[in-house]
Amino acid sequence: MLEIKNLHVAVDGKEILKGLTLAIEPGQVHAIMGPNGSGKSTLSYVLAGREGYEITAGSILYNGEDLHGLAPEERAAKGVFLAMQYPVEIPGVTTLTFLKTALNAQRRARGEKELDAMSVLKLVRKKASALKVSEEMLKRALNVGFSGGEKKRLEILQMALFEPKLAILDETDSGLDIDALKVVAEGVNALRSPERAMLVITHYQRLLQYIVPDRIHVLAAGRIVAEGGKELAHELEARGYEHLTGKAA
Amino acid sequence: MSNAETLFADALERCTALPVVPWLEERRAAAVQAFHAKGVPHRRVEDWKYSDLKTALDGVNDLGSDTIALTVGALPAGVGHFDLADLANAPDWVQAHLGKAAQAGAMAAAALALGHKGFAIRVPKNRHVTAPLNVAVSGAGHARALIVLEEGASLTLIESRDSGAGFSNVAIEAVVGAGAQLTHIRTAAAAPDAIQVEDVAVRVARDASYRAHLFNGGASLSRLNLRLTLKEPGGSAHLSGVSVLGGLHADVTTEVYHASGHTRSEQLFKKVVGGKGRAVYQGRITVAQGADKSDSRQTAKALLMGARAEADLKPELEIFADDVKCAHGAAVGDLDAGALFYLRARGIPETEARNMLVRAFLEEAVDEIANEQIRAAVWHVVEAALPKAMTQ
Repeated sequence: MLEIKNLHVAVDGKEILKGLTLAIEPGQVHAIMGPNGSGKSTLSYVLAGREGYEITAGSILYNGEDLHGLAPEERAAKGVFLAMQYPVEIPGVTTLTFLKTALNAQRRARGEKELDAMSVLKLVRKKASALKVSEEMLKRALNVGFSGGEKKRLEILQMALFEPKLAILDETDSGLDIDALKVVAEGVNALRSPERAMLVITHYQRLLQYIVPDRIHVLAAGRIVAEGGKELAHELEARGYEHLTGKAA
Repeated sequence: MSNAETLFADALERCTALPVVPWLEERRAAAVQAFHAKGVPHRRVEDWKYSDLKTALDGVNDLGSDTIALTVGALPAGVGHFDLADLANAPDWVQAHLGKAAQAGAMAAAALALGHKGFAIRVPKNRHVTAPLNVAVSGAGHARALIVLEEGASLTLIESRDSGAGFSNVAIEAVVGAGAQLTHIRTAAAAPDAIQVEDVAVRVARDASYRAHLFNGGASLSRLNLRLTLKEPGGSAHLSGVSVLGGLHADVTTEVYHASGHTRSEQLFKKVVGGKGRAVYQGRITVAQGADKSDSRQTAKALLMGARAEADLKPELEIFADDVKCAHGAAVGDLDAGALFYLRARGIPETEARNMLVRAFLEEAVDEIANEQIRAAVWHVVEAALPKAMTQ
């Protein structure tokens, strides 16, 4: 589903990713672990198509199609979803309105029929209760005044609503206490399916106790420096990144 | 003499031929004198730094064109109306107030000296008028208006300025009596070939309130002066507005004078500027000596859509009292790149995402309009103006 080959990415002329290679099959959950500054967020942004992240070499194939040159909204409509580390607060746009606009924009782009307000509301309600997203949250301005946990739950609600083929979760565990982390992880696990691939990006192995990956890649200084099964997380927990990166994390 | 000065000198010459209205003569003479003393405003006059009227008038051939019309719509029950063209027969309430606030600014003085058209409106004591009163402003020339709300009265005035060409200068005086409430909605459509000056002078009495919402689509030069005096305790002013400029100019200058303690003023202005547009906000708040326990806030924010757009936001505080609350802020910025990416990453196309963000930016100010129908109507005008303002 996702095939990244020798990817080099520069931000403001500075190379951050330096030859990253990675492949994920449908149904699989892969984790990217790595110390701060290793390029984890750069990878998530370049997959989602953020401006300013320039691919200088290599390629990203998604279902055989080169993502390079596709706008973020085009990627979203094709089933790429990025749950962001810092969901943006947008005053003046209510959460429900945003969900409806986004869902229908994706449907429109795929040539599917748009849903009316009532159908969207029903759909959102159905998915929201499991993630403990309240009606009151849906009426508030998008992410404004939300706690860290509320923001992350809303990210996962969007993932449930949009039903992406490839979901990238960027530091979804950051800023969460253990209870919030469990709710979020359960939400993510409920979305595991044979048709869907997930890339879970995290600094700590804590999240991976709840979202157990099929494979772990260790990113350091813009390259994958180690790979393994889920047991690699425990090793990293015990020994840190230092022995893999050659410097203190 | 500049072109503007010649034009005004000619116009003043001509207006001496107007019929003499004894009760107004003194105020008119004072206005002529005030205008002569100040002259046509230009960019070296501090208050007009961002709106050089003198230069703008260089291309105008004639100030004598007198097509201006202030058309008053259906009068709600209980509202008194007088046509200012018939000044010799003005009732007492017009004589009591017209021209009293005209001398403070050169252009308001010119409107009193040169204009002989306009309307006066009166809402009697304790009369609550629910239906809004519509006034359409069109054409070129000078005009005046007087709005009097007696004690305990209330009125909503909806003033709409069309996109017609030419130079117009309108001076409105409003007298808001004790406990009265005046709501003033003004929408000015984008008028690329117009030079528009409007001066609104409001006196707010004890426990009275003046609420204004001002939409501005801009003009070749557009200047709106809002001069407010909160003269007694309990008086309040609530000003909000939105300028949506696709390459045009709009200057909103407010002067709020807290003459008395226990008065309150709030201001919230938002600007979206595209193309070579220029948005100006100057807000001066003066708290007089002894006006303790007065509370004033002002916020002005501008969103620039491209490198050629400009916003000049200038909040000013002059405080001569000790125990007051004053807060002010101004910010100029671009559309938030993080927010734009967030929306697009969720599938919302760029144009739609930009629209959502700009709407969201403006919403806070437009939401200050309490009446749902009027708010919807103003949104309609805002949305019509947005596409042009969204260009770089």
